[in-house]
Amino acid sequence: MPVQVIVFGQLTDILGNRPITIDGVADTGELVAQLNQRYPALANAPYIIAVDKQIVNGNTTLAGNNTVALLPPFAGG
Amino acid sequence: MITERKPKNIFTQGPITASFIADSIQKHDTKTNIGGHSIFLGQVRADEIEGKKVTAIEYTAYEEMALEKMHVIREAIFAKYPLVCMHVHHSLGRIRAGEICLFVFTSSAHRKAAIDACTETVERLKAELPIWGKEIFVDESHQWKENK
Repeated sequence: MPVQVIVFGQLTDILGNRPITIDGVADTGELVAQLNQRYPALANAPYIIAVDKQIVNGNTTLAGNNTVALLPPFAGG
Repeated sequence: MITERKPKNIFTQGPITASFIADSIQKHDTKTNIGGHSIFLGQVRADEIEGKKVTAIEYTAYEEMALEKMHVIREAIFAKYPLVCMHVHHSLGRIRAGEICLFVFTSSAHRKAAIDACTETVERLKAELPIWGKEIFVDESHQWKENK
């Protein structure tokens, strides 16, 4: 089941503004590993992960059809 | 528990104008149980970084998530302080130095609750809402804003 990856802020400088579809990943750990391979600059970038708008900590299972957002440090206001 | 307050949109394309703020104040003249308002206005600062001046900040957000999170913050602030009302507006898009990008407005029977709720709301939204600012320099190069 594919997951859709969206990124914001400084991460758009690395991954662009378009959502990326990744297939065949079971959890966020596998997803990040695959993204790091495709976008080496991502490995050193600070961000947290939200799965379907909920911030997750540690490796999180992806059931499929999830939206995974990579969120660099917030800078509102 | 069913709450009476539904998630509200906080985002506006472009700067928040002085006339919008004035109208917003004016609209409270029928709420005569209010005795004090507190307002915070965030303005885009022309920071100078390595000799280059910031001319604008381009704001983007993960809007759906931000609105859900703002709703949680709003509920928590209403539970903590005896507020009559609260209004939050944040700009998206390119806001030039000197323009207003954030408007937080709290009202209560007495000043202390309004002031404390306003401060806490500003602090929480800066820390918790997924919003980003791209600082645009005179030569159109950019860097990403960091909240201090």
